[in-house]
Amino acid sequence: MSKRTETKAGTVSRRAFLGGGATVVAMFALDAAPGSKMARAIAASLPADTAGGAVNGWILINADNSVSIAFGGAEMGQGILTGLAQAAAEELMVAWSQVRTQVAPTSQSYITGGSFGIRANFQKMRIAGAQARGVLLAAAAATWGVDASACTVSDGVITNAVTSATLTYAQVAKSAAALTPPAAPTLTDASKFRMVGRSMARLDLPSKVDGSAVFGIDVRVPGMLYAAVKNCPTIGGTLARTPATPSGVIAVVPLGNAVAVVASNTWAAFKAASSLSVAWTIPTAAAQLTTSTISSQAQTLMATGTAGSPAAERVGDAPGAYGAATTRIESTYQLPYLPHVCMEVLNCTASVTPTSCEVWVPTQAASWVQATAMAITGLPAAAVTVHPTLLGGGLGRKIEQDYVSQAISVSKAVGKPVKLTWRREEDLSHDQYRPMGLVRVRLGADSGGRLTSIATRTVAPSPLAQRGWMAPTGNDNVEGAEGLPYAAANRLVEYVKHPAAVPVGFWRSVGNSINCFAVESALDELAVALKQDPLAYRRSLLAGDPRTLAVLDRAAADIGWSTVPAKGVARGIALSNGFGSIVALAVEVSQPTVGVMKVNRVACAVDCGLAVNPGQVESQMQGGIIQGIGTAFWGQTTFSKGVASSRNFSNTRMLLMKETPSITVSILQSGLESLGGIGEVAVPPTAPALANAWFKLTGTRMRSLPFFPGANRMDD
Amino acid sequence: MTAMSYNVNGKTYQFDADPGMPLLWVIRDIIGLTGTKYGCGVEICKACTVWIDGSPEKSCDMNASEGVGRKITTIEGLSATPVGVRLQKAFIDCQAPQCGYCQSGMLMAAAKFVTSNSKPTDSQIDSALGNICACGTYPRVKQAIKSATGQPT
Repeated sequence: MSKRTETKAGTVSRRAFLGGGATVVAMFALDAAPGSKMARAIAASLPADTAGGAVNGWILINADNSVSIAFGGAEMGQGILTGLAQAAAEELMVAWSQVRTQVAPTSQSYITGGSFGIRANFQKMRIAGAQARGVLLAAAAATWGVDASACTVSDGVITNAVTSATLTYAQVAKSAAALTPPAAPTLTDASKFRMVGRSMARLDLPSKVDGSAVFGIDVRVPGMLYAAVKNCPTIGGTLARTPATPSGVIAVVPLGNAVAVVASNTWAAFKAASSLSVAWTIPTAAAQLTTSTISSQAQTLMATGTAGSPAAERVGDAPGAYGAATTRIESTYQLPYLPHVCMEVLNCTASVTPTSCEVWVPTQAASWVQATAMAITGLPAAAVTVHPTLLGGGLGRKIEQDYVSQAISVSKAVGKPVKLTWRREEDLSHDQYRPMGLVRVRLGADSGGRLTSIATRTVAPSPLAQRGWMAPTGNDNVEGAEGLPYAAANRLVEYVKHPAAVPVGFWRSVGNSINCFAVESALDELAVALKQDPLAYRRSLLAGDPRTLAVLDRAAADIGWSTVPAKGVARGIALSNGFGSIVALAVEVSQPTVGVMKVNRVACAVDCGLAVNPGQVESQMQGGIIQGIGTAFWGQTTFSKGVASSRNFSNTRMLLMKETPSITVSILQSGLESLGGIGEVAVPPTAPALANAWFKLTGTRMRSLPFFPGANRMDD
Repeated sequence: MTAMSYNVNGKTYQFDADPGMPLLWVIRDIIGLTGTKYGCGVEICKACTVWIDGSPEKSCDMNASEGVGRKITTIEGLSATPVGVRLQKAFIDCQAPQCGYCQSGMLMAAAKFVTSNSKPTDSQIDSALGNICACGTYPRVKQAIKSATGQPT
């Protein structure tokens, strides 16, 4: 990073992470790939930010013997900033109080999504920590003229076992930086972890209780202006002509499908944007983008549409086995478009000059931001600096580039730094929504009640297809339907693409959020048809999968499934196995007034292999369940001639503390080899567990989400 | 534009602003204290909660002119109060925040609430904290409030 970014970015993003004043003595630039011999000492700053560059520096030793661990992902509440620091600090053998973090350059950043943060980077960060420890030990050993094996390290202090002399990491950092790190360092055995597997305090929380945390919306750059956007209310519409600049406004900038208003503060920009009179050109196709039309298209596609070929999963002859089954269940489940609803609205700050571009942004994809900036400005990667900030929620929305490109375009147009912020109304009405879905499940059982066939057919728009990344099988759209743990000799998983042009994107748990509801509801329907207990029936299908069975059993035990519930209370259960982790939820619901569901209690069991930070695993389970309940109850965006219904919290109801049930979380650990994701996994089983409990309570099967669309209003 | 003077966290700020600008944006954009958050602008989510003369108020719902002559406390001033320090410590001890965006408002609401209710029950906490948190930190926020009031969690 250039000097300029040190002073400017340092005021906004780095200081928040570092707590100010960290002095870098030396930095180990480590290629984490085993076998690499590259090591470079770089004083004073992180390496130049080159796209795809080979420099791979993760550990900095500071003058006060604290260590700064570079973080290349997006911290949006899920705790990976802390979890990945734990991995490096474990191997570096420092005390947690010595650990700081620092934003990594874009070349070292990674897309944060798919619950991959820990899975994809845990080992890399361990190796980085172990390599740094290796050269630090070697440097100390050389100073003393002894073999490194005669040295021990604890809390960043190296001791000469022979003489008892000590050197701190900071004292040997400069000489260590000149050494070649071990290519394949010995890693701590998982049974000896002292930091991984413990609920270490999150590094970002002190800044989140005193107002000092810097989210994108908090960025302040000297001389910056403030912009707000008015996106075309109708999907696919474009600006007919650039509106005149109203008085009190600095500039109006056309953006194709939107118009930005630039003012001297956010409120002035908001006010001007919302009152701006704009002429739009609306395509005739927009008339088709009405929820009832989209739904009936889905019904037609379900009946006669051509599924992608090959099918995502085809084992045996599912249609034949279904036809021959003694007991058959065919149910179709309907799910709505969903907004993401990050608490921090979309925003981005950009400063474009003829020779440079800096972007400060809450993003899940720093490298994509860099590519977006290069495309708009025509500048090379080296001239584009991205400063990822903390995210006030991401949920998949902040992987997108729409708000980023707007800010960069506006700064380019006005020649000044600009912070562009979407009003909440824009944020909710111009989302890239979780796709709607129509899912048909056919289950067949033989005369002994054994499941012989399971066939799912999912009709939904595809986020990947809208981006041109689509495989015919359906990719993300069949998550939660393929690879089910239940024993069934005949399986078929089909996907039929829905062509609706409503922008769709990646919403926490993606396809799992759709298909898990259908599959887990249908299994419950089959258990009922077979007059079997829903837990016992699932158990009978999981005999060959002890890991999944253990998770299911734990949730059931935690809710007290074998006991009789209180009068007026019923239980439901559901299972999900996405992102390499297994989650089971058992819930208790009641009906305080007719037609109103109250969730009294939730017991969650999860096996994510190794819980790097069990406290954060529990938080993610609690949070996913709470989001899952709120969206199951009320979540949806409908469309009328291309115009989204969602406006503000007034018609986008969120679960409140008073509606939140007691939630217990049990963590089962099957080991580091099975490391799974955690950020998304609690959402999918929530809706079906509730629907199953509601059926038990009332006899009414909820096959359409949300459960209570008419109760979606909130007021102050 | 009108010349105004504010007292925020015990400091005096003098500036010119449109008297109709919401207090929230005066605090964030003009005074430059960004810990107070914009969440909805329509008085629902409570991310913008500050204290006005010691009472929690939604700053998106007050005009700039209404802040004149009042004692305004924001999240940045919370650590100057003993109850604020207690709550901040409890929020960290219980690892309550996730993304953290709504937590300024949560803390401002919680700190004032425990001042007038030293041993709140679960249902009293539920009624007092109507702040929206999309991450679902409610269980841990509740735990933190109980911890800060010396109650078993």
